[in-house]
Amino acid sequence: MTEVAQRKALALGLERLNENMRNLAELSELAIRKAIDSLQHVSETEAREVFDVDNAMYELQFVIERNCVDLIALHAPVARDLRTITTSLKISTDFDRIGRYSKDIAEISLKVGKESPTLPEKLENLTRMADLTIHMVDTSIRAFVNRDAESVKDIGKFDDAVDDMHDELFLELVKLMENRILRVSQGAEYILVSRYLERIADHAVNVGNRVVYMMTGEQPRHAAPYFKKSGPDGMKDSTSG
Amino acid sequence: MEYQQSNGVHPAKIRAVDVSAYYGSKKAIDSVTLDIPEKTVTAIIGPSGCGKSTFIRCLNRMHEVIPRAKVTGAILLDGEDILVQDPVQLRRRVGMVFQRANPFPTMTIYDNVAAGLRLNGVRDRNILDQRVLRSLKQAALWDEVKDELNSPGMRLSGGQQQRLCIARALAVEPEVLLMDEPCSALDPIATAKIEDLIYDLKKSYTLVVVTHNMQQAARVAEFTAFMYLGRLVEYDRTQKIFENPAEKLTENYITGRFG
Repeated sequence: MTEVAQRKALALGLERLNENMRNLAELSELAIRKAIDSLQHVSETEAREVFDVDNAMYELQFVIERNCVDLIALHAPVARDLRTITTSLKISTDFDRIGRYSKDIAEISLKVGKESPTLPEKLENLTRMADLTIHMVDTSIRAFVNRDAESVKDIGKFDDAVDDMHDELFLELVKLMENRILRVSQGAEYILVSRYLERIADHAVNVGNRVVYMMTGEQPRHAAPYFKKSGPDGMKDSTSG
Repeated sequence: MEYQQSNGVHPAKIRAVDVSAYYGSKKAIDSVTLDIPEKTVTAIIGPSGCGKSTFIRCLNRMHEVIPRAKVTGAILLDGEDILVQDPVQLRRRVGMVFQRANPFPTMTIYDNVAAGLRLNGVRDRNILDQRVLRSLKQAALWDEVKDELNSPGMRLSGGQQQRLCIARALAVEPEVLLMDEPCSALDPIATAKIEDLIYDLKKSYTLVVVTHNMQQAARVAEFTAFMYLGRLVEYDRTQKIFENPAEKLTENYITGRFG
């Protein structure tokens, strides 16, 4: 194959990868939005849709991995092409995790929905936390799709706010359970939802940081969500699991 | 300039300062300034006609052999200007391997390797034997030719002939080895052997490799220089050049978006 033909094939492969990545990113945002809707309105239909979206994302992630390996093996990409491929490989896992946590939230919505038809009014902070998390996911996805490193430079600040909300919500939920306003079985589930949202926000930060790397070649280490202080236990890996 | 390496500091072996080269009135290299660190591999890449071969031919004064060719600026080898040195002595210190293997056609394998030594006045058979043995081993050719040292060099395969030429260059114990597209006429297996050889040789020599094959530059070189239209566009660690080049022109060239 001539060099020109090789470059055409690389361009086509990158285009295909980009299209798959865009689909995966959009599906991850759809999953979190539907999961929160299912929690707020206790909608079994929406919860089931999240399961379908999560399955589709799982399959698409493998296709993307194949795309990336083929591009590296066949075209020996360098510079921005290489950064685009390695970024796609890395953040496809972040999108997959967002889908997986959304599925977990949808499962909880089915469980708690049997006890209470709507999200208790006392949990308006959970709704605010969900809104901010969705905003972070949306921002990082737009940054990836639009190749815009500038728009995610402050995403770490939103993550700090989500972390604070998670800590506050934990105390709030414990108090509601102590005062018997919420049953322990319900409260424990909402604590998990808060935890999942906090994790999703971490993945949105990962995506944002990777977009910066993809566009500039610089890795923004200051905003990395890894190994943050977490109470008296000290270090934790905030993106595992 | 000094280059910090994981295994220590490599001072500049060669410094090219504001070097321009001409063929008659045509300027082939325009004010190139770069340091080539000692005991490392430096690759020079760029499209055909960008001046990369001309540049390395300046480093051992081969460029001046061409009628009406001229070099300006300064080229320092260990701090001393090569343009005022005896070219024959200089070429003993700065050897060269060319694109097409060019063993002396009428000579045996042994005589090909010993030719440079004999030109430098070495007549002692023991010394010649030792140097031929060591050079062929350094060039990773000994095991393949040890039983046919008196056969003609031209009988060897293309890849073997290229390694024979490297052995010939190494026999006079140079400090710098210039390679002008050393693998462009070789198949992938012969190419891999030469690349392994380059990897081993950098422990003892300073190597400068001109190549059209960017993956080869990425595989073998610690530093890469990108030249275009006679100018040095970018020179940096190879990882930097291939992962995140500073210049748009470099990025366009290495990713194939060059028009």
